[in-house]
Amino acid sequence: MACLHDHSCEDHNCAADWSLYNHVDIPKVVALNESVPGSVKSVFKPWEQRLDTSGGFLESNEGDPELLVFIPFTSDVKIKSISIVGGADGTSPSRMRAFINREGIDFSDAQNMQPVQEWELAENLQGALEYQTRYSRFQGVANLTLHFSDNFGGDITKIYYIGLRGEATQNKRDVVATIVYEVMPNPSDHK
Amino acid sequence: MVLEVRRATCRRFSLPNSDLRLISSPRRGFPLQATMICIDNSEWMRNGDYAPSRFQAQADAVNLICGAKTQSNPENTVGVMTMAGKGVRVLVTPTSDLGKILACMHGLEVGAEANLAAAIQVAQLALKHRQNKRQQQRIIAFIGSPVKYDKKVLETIGKKLKKNNVALDIVDFGESDDEKPEKLEALIAAVNSNDSSHIVHVPPGDNALSDVLLSTPIFTGEEGGSGFAASAAAAAATGASGFEFGVDPNVDPELALALRLSMEEERARQEAIAKKAAEDTENKDHASSSNNDSVMAEAEPATNAADDDKKEQPKDDDDLLQQALAMSMEGGSSGSASVADAAMAEAGAVDPDLALALQMSVQDANMSSDSDMSKVFEDRSFVTSILNSLPGVDPNDPSVKDLLASLHGQGEVRSFLFLS
Repeated sequence: MACLHDHSCEDHNCAADWSLYNHVDIPKVVALNESVPGSVKSVFKPWEQRLDTSGGFLESNEGDPELLVFIPFTSDVKIKSISIVGGADGTSPSRMRAFINREGIDFSDAQNMQPVQEWELAENLQGALEYQTRYSRFQGVANLTLHFSDNFGGDITKIYYIGLRGEATQNKRDVVATIVYEVMPNPSDHK
Repeated sequence: MVLEVRRATCRRFSLPNSDLRLISSPRRGFPLQATMICIDNSEWMRNGDYAPSRFQAQADAVNLICGAKTQSNPENTVGVMTMAGKGVRVLVTPTSDLGKILACMHGLEVGAEANLAAAIQVAQLALKHRQNKRQQQRIIAFIGSPVKYDKKVLETIGKKLKKNNVALDIVDFGESDDEKPEKLEALIAAVNSNDSSHIVHVPPGDNALSDVLLSTPIFTGEEGGSGFAASAAAAAATGASGFEFGVDPNVDPELALALRLSMEEERARQEAIAKKAAEDTENKDHASSSNNDSVMAEAEPATNAADDDKKEQPKDDDDLLQQALAMSMEGGSSGSASVADAAMAEAGAVDPDLALALQMSVQDANMSSDSDMSKVFEDRSFVTSILNSLPGVDPNDPSVKDLLASLHGQGEVRSFLFLS
């Protein structure tokens, strides 16, 4: 399908640009108000598979179109643009608000806080649209929270794919240390 | 600074509640959780249909739950709040300090009406501000008073909890009017996502509230089995820890071994008495040996009080105690000598010199089977040989010689010799 670049796709692999999904810490991705717990992990995949729903998709609960997706990264990334593939019949999200580097946001927080950036989304069933970010604000992103507050009138909201374009730095924000808890020392653990 | 923790190696815990002993691994039972417990301290809790009172039974259950959660994972936090009394207020914010939690339960007043909706909102707020955002959020509500809200209102509350990924456990006890179970079931159905929320209905009866809860998913967590819950259930059933002699062989093998040995010795002695009682017709003999056994037996019940297998112990102790009392009325030196004999039996195993002395004392006992051990002391050469075999005793020491002189004819101070 058509990209928004003004060159033709044959001599340029668009998929390579949308490779930031490799840096998403998928086991730790969390969504609030999803109808199937854990289904949010299926929306991070290569660009070619963006329309492929065999692995599942993200769906909100009955009668409630709001969704909140918390995306941690394995290292700090810079995000250039975001692409969302939604569902048909008004189940596509219509508004997206992004927060950076804040853990534990829930719906009341998301509704009250000022987002880093906000977009009006269009129905994007083929994944051809991408939404540019204010790049200077999305420089050292350790985790990204996307709040989809509204949709196009459907009862629920469906999201098939979330694409992220940008660069990964090698910086790790958190020092990952392995700590062993012991109430009583056990020598066999220290061999 | 966020630190990733490997929670695999917690092996042993010192438990605050001395009745329950467990070696648990944090992988079983509860995953990383922050829990808020909502206590119903409304007027309806004064009722006594759960022994001793509804409020007391509830407090016991709360203590048990707090213990279970904190023991299964050291990072779990638990908070407590009231739904009635002076109002909906948080007594302790989610903490892993069990002492704080137990302390706040003291001095709670019972009164007023429970406000379930407000309580759940406050609990949600308290959980939202938990320190470790990685913990799953859970609310445990004890609902003993009637529920005055509609099903619709409860369902909206449930949906809001589900939307924010908060699990809810409900303990339905106390008052049970027509609609309460259905309303609460509807609430749980609205909250439930993937079987994370549970409801337990506890009717009044003989079983304590905590015992009934032990077997429910509220206690056993999501993995369907918790070592803590299993052993706690066993403990509740037997009234003591699940281990023999009340001591876990893994925690203290020497103590467990010593207790087992003394148990067997006691059994052997009891058989010996039975034989002797059958043979001997003399009253004094019977009394003296049973006095010996009564002393040993009295030491045993202290450690075996909770062991159901040894039910015959108390009965024998009574008989032996009676005989001991009768004996103490009569007096008699031979009795105390046998007491010393019993005391030395343990020590003799350790020290070879003492073992030698012990052997001699046993010979003496055989020599003078009935009474009048003082005959032995008339044999000075024998006494001197004994003294020589003891370490640290110089027979030429004047104080020892004086002692020997005073010993002549007094059987009971013999025990002193062997102790020195």
